[in-house]
Amino acid sequence: MIKTIKLAFLGLISLAFVGSAYADMTFVSWGGAYTASQQKAYIDTWSKGSGVTVENYNGGLGEIKAQVEANNVTWDVVDVLPDQAITGCDEGLFLKVDQSHFIDDMVVKPVSECISPQIFWSYVAFYDPAAFPGKKPKTIKDFFDVKKFPGKRGIHTWANALIEMALVADGVKPSKVYDVMSSDGGIDRAFKKLDTIKDHVVFWSAGSKPLELVSSGEVVMSLAYNGRIGAAILQEGKNFEYIWDGQVLEQEYLVVVKGTKNEAEAREFVKHASTAESLALQAKYIPYGPMRSSSIDIIKKGEPYFNTGVDVLPHMPNTPKRLRRSVIADPFWWADNGAEVSERFGVWKGN
Amino acid sequence: MSSETLSGPILTSDGIPLKVSLRKAEKRNKIRAFLLVLPLLAFILITFIIPIGDMLARSVDDRYINTVFPKTFEIYKKWDKQDLPPEEVYETMFFEINAAKGFKIGKASTRMNYSKSGWKSLIKKSQRKFKKIKEGPYKEQMIAIDKRWGDPLYWKALGEMVDPTTMGYYLNSVDLKYDSNKEIIAQPENRRIYNHTWIKTFKVSLLVTLFTLMLGYPIAYLLATLPLKYSNLLMICVLLPFWTSLLVRTVAWMIILQQNGVFNNLMVIAGLIADENRWKLMYNETGTIIVMTQILLPFMVLPLYSVMKTISPSYMKAALNLGASPLHAFWKVYMPNSLPGVSAGGLLVFIIAIGYFITPELVGGKDGQMIGNWIAYHLKTTLNWGLCAALGSVLLFVMLVFYWVYNKIIGVENIKLG
Repeated sequence: MIKTIKLAFLGLISLAFVGSAYADMTFVSWGGAYTASQQKAYIDTWSKGSGVTVENYNGGLGEIKAQVEANNVTWDVVDVLPDQAITGCDEGLFLKVDQSHFIDDMVVKPVSECISPQIFWSYVAFYDPAAFPGKKPKTIKDFFDVKKFPGKRGIHTWANALIEMALVADGVKPSKVYDVMSSDGGIDRAFKKLDTIKDHVVFWSAGSKPLELVSSGEVVMSLAYNGRIGAAILQEGKNFEYIWDGQVLEQEYLVVVKGTKNEAEAREFVKHASTAESLALQAKYIPYGPMRSSSIDIIKKGEPYFNTGVDVLPHMPNTPKRLRRSVIADPFWWADNGAEVSERFGVWKGN
Repeated sequence: MSSETLSGPILTSDGIPLKVSLRKAEKRNKIRAFLLVLPLLAFILITFIIPIGDMLARSVDDRYINTVFPKTFEIYKKWDKQDLPPEEVYETMFFEINAAKGFKIGKASTRMNYSKSGWKSLIKKSQRKFKKIKEGPYKEQMIAIDKRWGDPLYWKALGEMVDPTTMGYYLNSVDLKYDSNKEIIAQPENRRIYNHTWIKTFKVSLLVTLFTLMLGYPIAYLLATLPLKYSNLLMICVLLPFWTSLLVRTVAWMIILQQNGVFNNLMVIAGLIADENRWKLMYNETGTIIVMTQILLPFMVLPLYSVMKTISPSYMKAALNLGASPLHAFWKVYMPNSLPGVSAGGLLVFIIAIGYFITPELVGGKDGQMIGNWIAYHLKTTLNWGLCAALGSVLLFVMLVFYWVYNKIIGVENIKLG
């Protein structure tokens, strides 16, 4: 009895989370220009695309867990971050999918058996050249150097990427960052480096904020999602410069939720969305980097590739040259240590 | 009347004793009344009682992990917690990891990771490599696969989950934890975040309640005493922001209060502050308090107004007639009469403020985050719903304590919404 009521209650919750009518298939993503690019590249090009309903969410596995536990799954395909892809696959929230068609074409190994590849995006520093009439910052070291480049910095309110960047700025080789983070005192070292800019930071939590902060001059440089900077430059004609050095790349995946009532369609959709062509097509509308090597080749051949008729590769985080001085975020490390480091970051912020 | 008729039962016209007949009718009425409130009862049960019960259960529930490692934990309990556990523990663990099918082990490792970061990847990695181990002894071979198997800290962290119920989540929510012998100790200093956040949450909520009262009282007074045509206009001014989206209002404040925002610009232009000393009014605790005060103001004004509306103006006139100074009359006559509204508004604002989450998330920045933000973080990112439930239960408990204190001092019967 209690169990039935509990199920009914969880069902109610998941209804509240979703709150929309049943459709052929529901695709859930982050919204904005990003989802718009997915609509054009994946949904519009799919034979059954007209039956796809798109919804937005704010990340996290909370809603998905509630739906699966209540056995009332209304989200069929979800766009997730890698640590969610790992945890969700481990906890049985996602279905395992066929990976044979892309597995040999990936820039990095897929994090779990549940994922289909999407894009790389990155946390990257940027500035308005007008703020630096003389010497301009070139490296992440400069971002952390308030003596050489005085002024406020914009950083986000959570720990991901900041730890990695602090270590690279402190002289750790990008490829060795996670070794240091796993070793004794590695995290202390990162926080010590963060201490040096603590009195010079402005925190942001919404992705559009860093662009405003830099435009209004409230900060001289800021971290941001590379796609947001790219969109501001390519579509709004803003004059921003990237500091690619020390950027932290994050991955983005599609997963099929376990218990979906449209399993066949969902599987077909993620397969269609992860072809080299689909991934390359997305880059026409947003400057995020496709995760398949052959998609990069398609873009290279097609330049000027962006829909406004300009080159898009200069705005891509994962060109070979940039990857040499980049950290590729390790979702396994964060799945292990995320909670602990986040609490510590909370203490650091508050004191 | 003779004594005979008194001793016999009183009968109704159809011969049934009156008592029975009455009871029957009453019973029917009771059932009817019950059926009438049944929908409400079911609604409260499904949306209120069961979720809270579920939350309380989750906050101490540790059964799952015990279904994955039942034998290991049994043997583990006999271990003296010195150095490393004996071969027997390794062996049962080895077999129980291998036996756990599908996502069972994933879920278990997520739980283990809450008490020691690293368990998750250790299990995942080992699971693949365990296939190479054909026979015992297992201890050395497991340590050879990953040296973390030889780290006592990992083993000691298991101590808190060997029972089907745990207080670990509650301890975690007040910056304590179990050590390997299940003694309660403090979290390491650089992880003590929750007590600090609790205090901040209550501080911010109390300040917001106080500020809304200070701002809301005069507004409500004007609303209640002005002639109708002015008070209507004023009422619209109070309600208009109430009808505007929370996000819109929050973002508007961000534009006004940020360092290069409207407010600071005006202050600099007016020469009141120097350009390089602009006030930090946003992305910190100050920002959270300012924005929450504005957003919650209507919740204070409306109860105040509805109570003040019922205070007859003749009371004040009488007091003044009898020679009281205006201030004295206000303090002795008007103020006590408006107290039920103050109580209602204060409690309402405080309760809403204590669980606030979107506004602190957007404007809190450095140190303006509240406990709601941590609950959201664990709910969505770490999936540590046990900790969420514990934090939520503490919040509920503290609320009940506040309510109890409030009832003792002021009395709940004094709350009035009009």
